[in-house]
Amino acid sequence: MEKSRSELGQIIVGVARDPLGLMGLIIVGVIVFCAIFAYWIVPYDPIAMDIKSRMQGPSTAHLLGTDQLGRDTFSRVIAGGQVALKVALPAVFGAMAIGLTLGMIAGYGPKWLDNLLMLFFDTIRSFPTVMFALAVVALIGPSLQTVVFVVMATSIPTYGRVARTQTMTLRNSEFILAERSMGASMSRILGVHMLPNIIGVLAVLAAMDIPTVIALEAGLSFLGLGVKPPTPSWGSLLKDGYSLIRQTPWLVVGGGLPIILATLGFTFLGESLRDVVDPKLRKQR
Amino acid sequence: MKIEWTQANVGRRRFLKGATALGAATVLPMGWANRAFAADDGVLRVRAYGDAQNMDPAHSVGVVEEEVHASIYNKLIQYKPGNEWGWQLDAATMIEQVNPTHIKFALRDDIGFTNGFGAMTAEDVKFSMERIVDDATDSPNKPDLGPFSHVEVTGEREGTIVLNSPFAPIWSIALPYITGNIVSKAAVEAAGGRIGADPVAESGPYLRDSWSPKEKTVLKRNPDWKGDAPTWDTVEIYPIDDENTAEIAFEAGELDMTRVSLASVERYRAGVPNGGSLVEKPSLYYVWMGMNVEHPKLQNQKLRQAIQHAVDVPSILEAAYFGAAEPATGIIAPGLAGHRAESLVPPAANFEKAAQLLAESGETNVTLTLDTLNKTTFTTTAQIIQATLAQIGITVEVNVLESGAFWASGDNENLQLVLNRFSMTPDPYYATSWFTPEQIGKWNWERFNSPEFNEIHESAAAETDIAKRAEMYQRAQDLMEESGAYRFITHEATPVIHSARVIPALRPDGLSLLRYFGKAT
Repeated sequence: MEKSRSELGQIIVGVARDPLGLMGLIIVGVIVFCAIFAYWIVPYDPIAMDIKSRMQGPSTAHLLGTDQLGRDTFSRVIAGGQVALKVALPAVFGAMAIGLTLGMIAGYGPKWLDNLLMLFFDTIRSFPTVMFALAVVALIGPSLQTVVFVVMATSIPTYGRVARTQTMTLRNSEFILAERSMGASMSRILGVHMLPNIIGVLAVLAAMDIPTVIALEAGLSFLGLGVKPPTPSWGSLLKDGYSLIRQTPWLVVGGGLPIILATLGFTFLGESLRDVVDPKLRKQR
Repeated sequence: MKIEWTQANVGRRRFLKGATALGAATVLPMGWANRAFAADDGVLRVRAYGDAQNMDPAHSVGVVEEEVHASIYNKLIQYKPGNEWGWQLDAATMIEQVNPTHIKFALRDDIGFTNGFGAMTAEDVKFSMERIVDDATDSPNKPDLGPFSHVEVTGEREGTIVLNSPFAPIWSIALPYITGNIVSKAAVEAAGGRIGADPVAESGPYLRDSWSPKEKTVLKRNPDWKGDAPTWDTVEIYPIDDENTAEIAFEAGELDMTRVSLASVERYRAGVPNGGSLVEKPSLYYVWMGMNVEHPKLQNQKLRQAIQHAVDVPSILEAAYFGAAEPATGIIAPGLAGHRAESLVPPAANFEKAAQLLAESGETNVTLTLDTLNKTTFTTTAQIIQATLAQIGITVEVNVLESGAFWASGDNENLQLVLNRFSMTPDPYYATSWFTPEQIGKWNWERFNSPEFNEIHESAAAETDIAKRAEMYQRAQDLMEESGAYRFITHEATPVIHSARVIPALRPDGLSLLRYFGKAT
């Protein structure tokens, strides 16, 4: 336990020493903090309407103005962050968990199972993500759960393929061969010996994937097919803002800026994590 | 051949200089182009919300194509520009209803078709109308001709339109709109019976000079046109779907006229750039919230009536339509026969009455879904409905759908509440035709089933007494509202801006009649 704690500490220190990594860490920290404490931070109820105060510009009362229903845009941006992370975190980590398990089984298991799982991954990957998302939404209707499901389903093959490659690289390593010769079970070899060697790479991949998922959720909400109204989301803010860009451009700013920041933050953090976890890459750069 | 590559000496400063020069070079010609455009007052540039892709009136899909067809073809009669619905002679020198089922006409003798297809004759009129009702043509516009039977040709340029039964919309839809366009029989037959993306023969004041798909349609003055000459030598029609984009194009001087968004009306009321003007016309569209009366959750009429009274239309008009639209009293817009001065349920919500009706219904813990299109206007409206129904304890979940899924809702028996908007032609017959029992499972999404309504729909189409006909349609709308299945919201509006050099010719609902556009002196 002590050892793992010091490893985590080393990773955090490593990221913090990289200026871009530190910036990423701060941005992600702020976004996560705002998402967790959204309903304590927001100055107004994000779904409370006040039609008489609609489409106001920024002021001390409303930092980013109001939308067409008189709702405070700043409050909706903060609450929208919660929705973005509610989609991104379960979707990415769910996909990672399933992809990791299937990928390790494919890499370590018999050839026929590998072929079968690869066929499964390739089949899912053959669907363009957005088209697949639109089809699923049309079938089962838009909701937070639908978006999480779509993202998770389309991301599993990515994690699965990486996990499979890593597993295949490791399966003939001396320490694995030694374990096998001592009669260790498959679950022990995969869970105790291989997992710690794979999880770091996948964690980096997950960090880099989070902005993609946030953008996908925003994209679906922009099309009106993400979370249901009146739940605030960055994508729906952008959609309303786009329609009303000549009347109240602040909605577009409110919806667009957090997406840009989240993308930058998670990307910086992911790249920095990759450098720390795999110093060889850093030397190559 | 040996090519020697040398490293270009492009420093940051040199790059910036080069980029600036390139930018200036790009901008300058645009400036000159604008000046040239301003000086060239023979070209009228207008925006359409879609691309006119089909030159066959039998397969026209609506106003976008009709705007071009009305310029390059002739009809016996055309709509009159102005604020009141009416028609004027076009290809006909005379047209009269000799009895409820027979209309006599005589054609002008100076209209000819291009490409050597000769003068327009009564045979062309017969061919044009009869091919639309011919099942082999499979025309989506066939219903517009109602009980049309055939045309009797009585002379080279004389004939009689024969109906199977009286049909009042013949004067308001069939003759002056899509189905009234006269094409050349010889030209269409020579083309194998079908007109595609290019007209086979034209006869109107304009000829379609060119069409760049999704970019521009150019109409040029027809040199052989013998009627009143159109004012503009050339008309360029730009398909621009997005109103914000069209507004920017207008303000940049690239367009002479465009419909603008309702959100922009307030700004343009304060002044239109470059000395232009804003024209606000009522629209014929109708927007309403429907309730599926066959759904188990909505079979209770008192509950539906409670919902009617709990929807606050003024709030919707303020937030979703920016105060630029008036409340609707039904499906028939002002200016048309059958329009009701007032609806049975007032536009403003009456929460006390709604709560009382809800209590009388005996329903508790009501939770409903409201389906709507993924457009900001509709999602905004849906959220207001959601908020106002919450005030009487009804929970609404807004179900946003993309257009494909939404427009396939006709056979969706699980539909509960739905926010809807239908287009309209200038005759009440067109409005009531979607709510008959026959339309259940197609366009009658509320599954409103009223034999009396159906009877009115059929008999009012044949009624030629305008006052009597108006009363019938008013009663039809009363029936719709009394059923509790409908909460009428608005007919929207058609705000149009035009440049100072244009005198627009618009139908009472704001749609363009390009051949009648004038020039400001």
